Amino acid sequence: MQPITATGACFDGVSARPYPVTIRVTDRFEVRGEGVFHDWNLLDLRAADAAAPLMRVGPVGSLIRVEFTDATLAAVLPLRCPDLARRESEEGGTLRLVLWSIAAGVSVILVALFGVPLLAGVLAPMVPDAVEERLGAAVEGQIVDILGKPPLCTEAAGKAALDRLVAKLVAGRGLPGSVSVTVRRHKMANALTLPGARVIMLSDVLVKSETPDEFAAILAHELGHVATRDPTRSLIQSSGTAFLLSLVFGDLTGSTIIVAAGQAIVSAGYSRDAERRADAYAVDTLNAAGGNGAALASILERIAKDGDSETGAFLRSHPFTRERAASIRERAGPEAAGRRIIAEADWVALKGICPGLPAAKPSESKPSESKPKPPGPRRERKAPDEPVDL
Amino acid sequence: MESVAGHIDGAPRPSGAITFDRSLKGLTGIAVKGFLLSLITFGIYRFWYITNLRRYFWSRTTVDGSPGEYTGTGKELFLGFLVALAILVPIYIAIFALSLMSPALAAFGGVLSFVILYLLGQYAIYRGRRYRASRTLWRGIRLGQDGSAWAYAGMAAGWSLLTVVTLGLAFPFMRASLERYRIRHTLIGTARMDSTARGTQLLPYWLVFYGVVLLPLLAAAAYFLVAAGFKIPTDLMVAKPGKPGDFIMNPTYAGTPVATALTVLGFIGPVGVIAALLLIPFYRARETRLFMNAASLGSVTLSSTLRARQFYWPYIVYFLSILGFFLVIVLVFLGLGLLIGLGGGREPGGFSAVHALLLFTTLAAYLGAGLLFAVLYVRIIQARLWAAVAESTQVHGTEALAQIVASSRAPASGLNEGLADALDVGGALQIGF
Ligand SMILES: [Zn+2]
Repeated sequence: MQPITATGACFDGVSARPYPVTIRVTDRFEVRGEGVFHDWNLLDLRAADAAAPLMRVGPVGSLIRVEFTDATLAAVLPLRCPDLARRESEEGGTLRLVLWSIAAGVSVILVALFGVPLLAGVLAPMVPDAVEERLGAAVEGQIVDILGKPPLCTEAAGKAALDRLVAKLVAGRGLPGSVSVTVRRHKMANALTLPGARVIMLSDVLVKSETPDEFAAILAHELGHVATRDPTRSLIQSSGTAFLLSLVFGDLTGSTIIVAAGQAIVSAGYSRDAERRADAYAVDTLNAAGGNGAALASILERIAKDGDSETGAFLRSHPFTRERAASIRERAGPEAAGRRIIAEADWVALKGICPGLPAAKPSESKPSESKPKPPGPRRERKAPDEPVDL
Repeated sequence: MESVAGHIDGAPRPSGAITFDRSLKGLTGIAVKGFLLSLITFGIYRFWYITNLRRYFWSRTTVDGSPGEYTGTGKELFLGFLVALAILVPIYIAIFALSLMSPALAAFGGVLSFVILYLLGQYAIYRGRRYRASRTLWRGIRLGQDGSAWAYAGMAAGWSLLTVVTLGLAFPFMRASLERYRIRHTLIGTARMDSTARGTQLLPYWLVFYGVVLLPLLAAAAYFLVAAGFKIPTDLMVAKPGKPGDFIMNPTYAGTPVATALTVLGFIGPVGVIAALLLIPFYRARETRLFMNAASLGSVTLSSTLRARQFYWPYIVYFLSILGFFLVIVLVFLGLGLLIGLGGGREPGGFSAVHALLLFTTLAAYLGAGLLFAVLYVRIIQARLWAAVAESTQVHGTEALAQIVASSRAPASGLNEGLADALDVGGALQIGF
């Protein structure tokens, strides 16, 4: 093998003193200088990064370094030392790293989408009432801000009628904690249930209700969410999912978009099962309290029809409202139509809780059951950006 | 004595110079690979990307003829990050739970988490620096850092508090004090570095920044407080009629000194932000030069001739590149919009080939922009700032460098830097020391 010689500097790994040396490469790597002699196997030689023309080599696992700028030696050395560029500390390969990372990321996403809802269902009943109460207070502040600070409706007679209605619905239904129902003046026909048994009825539900039973049915539906602690579960679920998704996507450009989209899909509302449970609860509650359980179907259909003109709720498909209405009517039974939950006087008082609302239609003129079924596909009344489902 | 290793047969370089290989050969490849692999690995590859960048920058920087060497690995950083997560997640949850359970604490929940995260952040910065030092070799000698990260975090917190209390005037003293602590606990082998950085030296440059940016803001805020009788009126902002969620100034305040003060604040605020952006490179350059000049290692001293324009230029080039890119994007989308306007008008909501093209272009532009900015950031901002600091610095008394002896202490654990990454306080490359 043709010997190659060059000059350079050797650092012994103990001091920073440079030792001028002569390098001779045959089938060994020899370094000689005043008080310096090294003789290394070419297989043991490793090169540390350096910008050409400088080259820097040393035996594997050692701090001894030889620096040189000889172009011939720099060209030949990689040919004679097969492991010159090998990095023991970075073994394993980029491909394996990439595949494992993708597997880990997908697994976290799956946990976020399927594991967290399960976990939230287990955790929600375990949240202490005091904590849920505080949570509800915090969320209520936020929701009220999002809705544009709608004022509370507190007309005394209406409030008294509302309290009597709530007492009638709650009686014997075993709800956790004390229920607080408030009415706020808002143009959207929706109702919200928050953690800590807080129900916010928006005044447009009152306007759209043709009978007291319709209003009571919406209220009872929300109480159904209270009974199953759906708001707490949904809160745990959406924050858990958001946390996991931000963990996975957290360090990418534009990650906020992905995380926000994921959150919107996950927290767009309660699951259909939760809605069906709340519907069933509402029908049973109204029937037990002597009201018309089927009124829930008619008010849902009316709100859905009015919501049709507004921009779409594409996350929920149209047949869902019809399907809900059908099962509500079936559960309520044929004789439900004749019943009324509260007396006409109380209903008039209740409608007066927000002074100056648009006049509602008289309750007798248009019995909800005779109302023709709305033709064509219905759109769920809920827009995707509304905070909590009806 | 022949003191410069590479000079025996290479091109002679002035002894004691710090150089950086400005050709940047291979850097674009590292950045492109790093960006794309980070994208598909949900960001996990970034630890290997950071490691590659450091290995590149360290090895392209020579001090007295010998390049630095970075021996850290991506695996170490990743494991450190996992451990840090295991520590941080319970802390986050504890803060959240605490503010939920106790109404008294809830009001301070935000402040509490800020204080805890600030302390942890400073702690992590110091520990991260320790990791980088222990993974840095020069002439086979390992660098190191001792001192207490908690002491450092405590100092940083105390100085920050003082800075707030003195309305920002203590800031240069904080910077100098922390710099002294960092440098005096930096070791090259067994040799300890020293710094004589003083806040009073920084004060003139800080006062320039202070006078142009902060003082007008403070004055406007004070004027507002005086006009409002030292209490902010609760009904100052009212909901915009017809648009809930939007706020405008309460019309009843129109014409009062409060309104004038608010207008002044609204004008000075944005001006201050622009002025700050323009002046930060100036202050940073002066500070870096001063810190370099103040650092020494026994009889070895440094001198820096760093100019502020060397810090401005990279930012200007980067900014112009981004501007150019967005101009091209706007033109492309205008063209596509024209296509849709001409062809797709008949069928509203229909998904034509032009729409598909638009979607594809948007996606490509988004990804392309990310990739381009990542590469430009590394090549223009990081590399040029690094080069500016390195090349403007000169080492004096290099003969004494030969006296440096390796230390027997073990290199710091890789867990040191994980916290910094988990808290998002550590950069891949710290300019200066
Ligand atoms: Zn519901």
